[in-house]
Amino acid sequence: MNISPDNSVKNMGMAEGAGANGGAASIDAALRAIAHAPVPAGIEERVHAALRSAPRHSLVLAWPAAFAGNSNWLRAAAAAAIVFVVAGGGWGVYMHVQRPMAGVVTIPVAQPAAGGGFSSAGAMRTPATVKGPMAVQPASRAQAKHRKKAGATAKVQPVPAAAAK
Amino acid sequence: MSTGQAILAGWMENPLSAAAERARIEAEEAELAALLATLVDRYSGTLYRVAFSVLRNPADAEDAVQEAFLRVLRHRDTLPEVRDHRVWLIRIVWNVVLDRKRRAKTRPETDDVAELARVLPSSGLSAEEIAAAAQHHARVLACVERLPAKERQVLLLSAFEELTSVEIATVLGITESSVRSRLFRARNLMAELLDHARSLR
Repeated sequence: MNISPDNSVKNMGMAEGAGANGGAASIDAALRAIAHAPVPAGIEERVHAALRSAPRHSLVLAWPAAFAGNSNWLRAAAAAAIVFVVAGGGWGVYMHVQRPMAGVVTIPVAQPAAGGGFSSAGAMRTPATVKGPMAVQPASRAQAKHRKKAGATAKVQPVPAAAAK
Repeated sequence: MSTGQAILAGWMENPLSAAAERARIEAEEAELAALLATLVDRYSGTLYRVAFSVLRNPADAEDAVQEAFLRVLRHRDTLPEVRDHRVWLIRIVWNVVLDRKRRAKTRPETDDVAELARVLPSSGLSAEEIAAAAQHHARVLACVERLPAKERQVLLLSAFEELTSVEIATVLGITESSVRSRLFRARNLMAELLDHARSLR
């Protein structure tokens, strides 16, 4: 279907009365009207102007114009100066860094624990010992019932001699 | 020439070859600039219409076109490798437009009827017809806005007679069959939405 945008109103009018097929035609008409929107005059010139004003080249340090034409020796001197500065800088850093002396082992001095340290870090943990007799609880309710039936009460176990000490 | 000088000459830049290289680069730059100027002259209108179909604001659409060409300028080295400049440019402006649309979500839409009546083509129509057309288009476009993004994008691009389904697929980065199925879904949804809108009236 080829609908001219300028005739979209007439097409639309036909479409509105033509049911589902007409609905599709009216959608096409509206979309084509949008797609054929008139282009503002002079857009190309404005785009050209925007492109002209945009920065084209990345900024690169250029060789000074006075030195541009002649002399390889000047470039060589500049390159040598750069090498000298880089190598000198590296040497300076190398000389200022103190290397550890070989064969000598330094043992760090033990510092007394400060007040804010963990005071219980070195404590030895001792288990809480039971002084008296201990009632052994049945493992489950069913077990307890069974014991009750059998007439057995909770056994009182004697404290082992070693624990009683 | 001593060995040291020979090494130095090889190491250092040769002024003659540097000048030739510079001339070659300048010639390439001029060629690219000419190509870019041709693209601006040829496709500014198309890109504007693509941008306008989404943004529906003449100023925003023109800004989008300029931004698209600025992106091309930044990546102008890739211009000679591009096979189809038109589709490539439409893809760039499409991305620019979607970016803008996403950023300007809170901004009010310019879908009011008066704005559409002012913008849409209207040669040989009476004022009443223009108003009726604008009203109808506003209604249809409101339904288009309610479509899911994927379907909406395909539907908008399908309105451009210059674009085949293969080219729409290239612009959107999907397959041609996806374009067809999305277009089918979009049309069905649009018909439903328009019917619903008509029944409410």
